[in-house]
Amino acid sequence: MSHRPYGLLAELTHRCPLHCPYCSNPTQLSARESELGTAEWQRVLHEAAELGVLQAGFSGGEPLIRDDLAELVRAARGAGLYTNLITSALGLTPARIRELREAGLESVQISLQADEPSLADRIAGAKAHAQKLEAARLVRESGLALSLNFVLHRLNIARLESMISLAEELGAERVELAQTQWYGWAFLNRETLMPTRAQITEAARIASAAKARLAGRMEIFYVLPDYFGDRPKPCLHGWGRRFLTVNPTGEVLPCPTARAIPALRFENVRERPLRWIWDESESFNRFRGTEWMPEPCQSCELREIDFGGCRCQAALLTGDPASTDPTCSLSPHHHLIGEATAAAEKVATEARDGFVPRRNPSAINE
Amino acid sequence: MSARSLTSVPTLAARVRLQIDRVTGKPVLLYPEGVLELNETAGEVLKLCDGQRTVAKIIAALAAEFEATGDELTTDVLACLAELRGRNLVTT
Repeated sequence: MSHRPYGLLAELTHRCPLHCPYCSNPTQLSARESELGTAEWQRVLHEAAELGVLQAGFSGGEPLIRDDLAELVRAARGAGLYTNLITSALGLTPARIRELREAGLESVQISLQADEPSLADRIAGAKAHAQKLEAARLVRESGLALSLNFVLHRLNIARLESMISLAEELGAERVELAQTQWYGWAFLNRETLMPTRAQITEAARIASAAKARLAGRMEIFYVLPDYFGDRPKPCLHGWGRRFLTVNPTGEVLPCPTARAIPALRFENVRERPLRWIWDESESFNRFRGTEWMPEPCQSCELREIDFGGCRCQAALLTGDPASTDPTCSLSPHHHLIGEATAAAEKVATEARDGFVPRRNPSAINE
Repeated sequence: MSARSLTSVPTLAARVRLQIDRVTGKPVLLYPEGVLELNETAGEVLKLCDGQRTVAKIIAALAAEFEATGDELTTDVLACLAELRGRNLVTT
């Protein structure tokens, strides 16, 4: 096996205090009772490090909901992994920050929904914004690395300039201006959340000006959304090539949204060693390399640059995970993208902004 | 090369960690959301970036350790530090 993973995304739980309509978690959320336990996660982290993983991201849902988070951070550091917490920051109290720091946590990424409090709270479906700002300040004071993440969509993208200013004010070292990825809950809300082309053009201009202005002070990460470009995103730099995700119930996924591919069966860390799953499993090998590719990918000179795009998106939009990602203008299904952006333009002119909030698994299952 | 570049004291940026990759046995830098695989020169330079040594002392230490001399080593070390500074992984 020539590839080894560099990054592990540990989705500790699907429980979350927020209800963001752009969430890319699956719409079938896992209940608390089915989550991996502390010892199981400790073993997973250890096995990941043995396999070559260097970075661990603790995510969810909201990872702070797990009381054993500090123990898991300690296990990750003990195994030599770099540790990132990806959080809503709800529950990130001074005591919790101290506990996590002592356990070896190195970096915190806090999500913000907008700069303006009432809009941010409306998107989050909870009174959260003020707590997030306070938590960001505490993280900064503690000396941990601070990244902020704004997920962009039609309800907040017009405020991009102010969102970047807020990140500056909070002293973040890095800000991700992430495009909504149309999976899970976000896919349900695609019509109401997708920006218009004019908004995307304006956002790109603002992001690139801010990048130049803040060079050396704050790193800005902005990527043109694939629905508005000609070529697909090089999803995770190839299937089963650099990253793996373990979901709350222990399923190992080549991509965090791979559950969107009904045709694949994913192995579970409760039944198989991580190394076997990475090296041998059908799910990890199905789209590795270039052999599986159809035309126009097979003879495309970009096939090892963009890897045919995103398998989950191909499955979601065409029903066939082995088809070319429809965001590529060479895809026979590319018209689906034009139809989706046109539908969003139409809804935007009608000024409709109702959305389906993400639910909480505990509210459904407990 | 400027005089300043030889008298500055480079250190790893906060929250950046130097580690040996157990798969390749080579040095890597770990930082939020990223991994940088280093070549041997960069690894040796960074081991000496302890917040005490100047660039000139780092070059002297490497010269002694690898029995290397001259401009080539100086050029390599300065280029390596400039690149890492450009990526905000080293501060001076």
